[in-house]
Amino acid sequence: MATSSLLSRISEVASSAGGALLGRAQSLRLPGVGTASAKDSPEVAARRWRAVTVLTDRIGTGPDLPAPLAAFGDRIEVRTTPAPAGKGTELAARFTAPADATDERVGKLREALRQAKQLIETGEVLRIEPQPEGRRPETPQGRVLEGAAARAPKEGVL
Amino acid sequence: MKALTWTGVNQLSVEDVAEPTLLNGHDVIVKVRRTTTCGSDLHLLSGYIPFMRAGDVIGHEFMGEIVEVGPAVRHRAVGDRVVVSSFVACGSCWYCAQELYSLCDNANPNPGITEGLWGQAIGGCLGYSHAVGGYAGSHAEYIRVPYGDGSTFVVPDGVSDDRALFASDAAPTAFTGVDLAGVRPGDTVAVWGAGGVGQLAARISELVGAERVVVIDRLPDRLQQVREVIGAETIDYTSTDVAAELRELTGGRGPDVCIEAVGMEAHSPGPQGVYDQVKQQLRLQTDRPTAVREAIMSCRKGGSVFVLGVFAEMVDKFPLGALMNKSLRFGGAQVHGPRYIPRILEHMAAGALVTEHLATHVMPLDEAPHGYELFKEKQDGCVRAVFTPNG
Ligand SMILES: NC(=O)c1ccc[n+]([C@@H]2O[C@H](COP(=O)([O-])OP(=O)(O)OC[C@H]3O[C@@H](n4cnc5c(N)ncnc54)[C@H](O)[C@@H]3O)[C@@H](O)[C@H]2O)c1
Ligand SMILES: [Zn+2]
Ligand SMILES: [Zn+2]
Repeated sequence: MATSSLLSRISEVASSAGGALLGRAQSLRLPGVGTASAKDSPEVAARRWRAVTVLTDRIGTGPDLPAPLAAFGDRIEVRTTPAPAGKGTELAARFTAPADATDERVGKLREALRQAKQLIETGEVLRIEPQPEGRRPETPQGRVLEGAAARAPKEGVL
Repeated sequence: MKALTWTGVNQLSVEDVAEPTLLNGHDVIVKVRRTTTCGSDLHLLSGYIPFMRAGDVIGHEFMGEIVEVGPAVRHRAVGDRVVVSSFVACGSCWYCAQELYSLCDNANPNPGITEGLWGQAIGGCLGYSHAVGGYAGSHAEYIRVPYGDGSTFVVPDGVSDDRALFASDAAPTAFTGVDLAGVRPGDTVAVWGAGGVGQLAARISELVGAERVVVIDRLPDRLQQVREVIGAETIDYTSTDVAAELRELTGGRGPDVCIEAVGMEAHSPGPQGVYDQVKQQLRLQTDRPTAVREAIMSCRKGGSVFVLGVFAEMVDKFPLGALMNKSLRFGGAQVHGPRYIPRILEHMAAGALVTEHLATHVMPLDEAPHGYELFKEKQDGCVRAVFTPNG
């Protein structure tokens, strides 16, 4: 078969599979692909400290906890530690009761940690909406990505 | 206002969209005077960076005039003529303090996507997909730029709009490569790719003292620009064996520094090209590292290989053995714009860095889809299409 027709057939296959692949790419965790390490069980993951390092000497705790974290009340425990080599202060949190650490709530905790860091470092939480955009046709691919973008502040490996 | 939007794989359209507004205290609004296509857009266009939504406004390399400033902006004012860094940066996180601005911890409102892909999130780039922030881009009459104080740079009077435009992304990308690859006076530098990025990497290598600079591509118009405007030597990889040619040019050693400015859609003739394209289209590998392989194999022992071309995920047939055994230094980066833009503007003002020749096709924003067609297909000698959204 001539190279070009082989390629065009393959690209047809690939682009029809593209939608499904896109969906998968959004939630793919590549850091684990092809590595030897064991993966956390849900119980271990629930007890992990989720942490950001903030370029500041001191982060308030107790009543002075940054507002996004204070909103969780006593459902989370918070730990702050000086980071080595002038990297600032490590701010870590986790749910006190492992049963509280559902995907949804861990997502909210990630977002809160990132917002706390932004508030301390830049004084504001970065906004993105509303902004200029063209027509958003209702396509499955668009919906997948819209969902992924909406979730992205809460997603990740943090 | 008018803006160029991505509407699907290989589809662009000019649409009427709402004007941007100030969203954060540190924002500025820029009225766009010049905005250009970049090789990176081609990877979005062809669907290899699958984080685009129909309706996204694209474009990240631009300059213009500040028309509005947020209340927290201290060093910019309405009326300033500025060039804008494609990667915007908060200026106050640890990465910004290290001048690794494209790694800014705070500039990407969607950190989950790249954290999932790469283990850590990188920073935010205007008009370049939801993976790096989902910001509306510059192929529009107006654009919102966050962190206006640190992400915009006042253009000196003696530097024209046409020259300053490329201080936004192409020149600082080139400078990032030259600097982080460690080019030193007396070095021989080989650059793969004679697009805007590769040409300027060659020129900036000369500016930091490289003795001999060789640029590799196959497009005759671009290679001619390299010889005539940049003043570097050229190799056409379709007519000769690049590694052999480089050995001959360097007394058998190979170049001290090899800079890759091609990216994940690299072209290669022959069976290896077909192999990579098939694997990429089946998603068995996501990126085609043709020029990276050649750079590693050509580099002198103990030399440095630096990847400026954009890659997204995984590659196949990566010569790790050569990298390890030849004691190579290997690195890559997205552009750390604010680190280099001030120096670039100085070189531009002094006439040492010219870029106007890259703008082979200048046109109104209405014709942008055609401009991208010319740029993508490298038709009519197109090196960069430049749009003038405000006439
Ligand atoms: N790191 C960054 O921050 C950054 C910023 C801007 C652009 N980029 C990337 O840099 C790359 C170049 O950008 P550009 O605007 O110059 O793009 P471009 O498309 O204009 O230029 C790419 C050049 O590479 C040549 N080429 C293709 N295959 C080759 C091969 N096997 N060997 C040698 N040359 C080959 C093409 O003929 C073309 O001239 C792109 O991948 C782009 O995404 C990176
Ligand atoms: Zn670019
Ligand atoms: Zn920052």
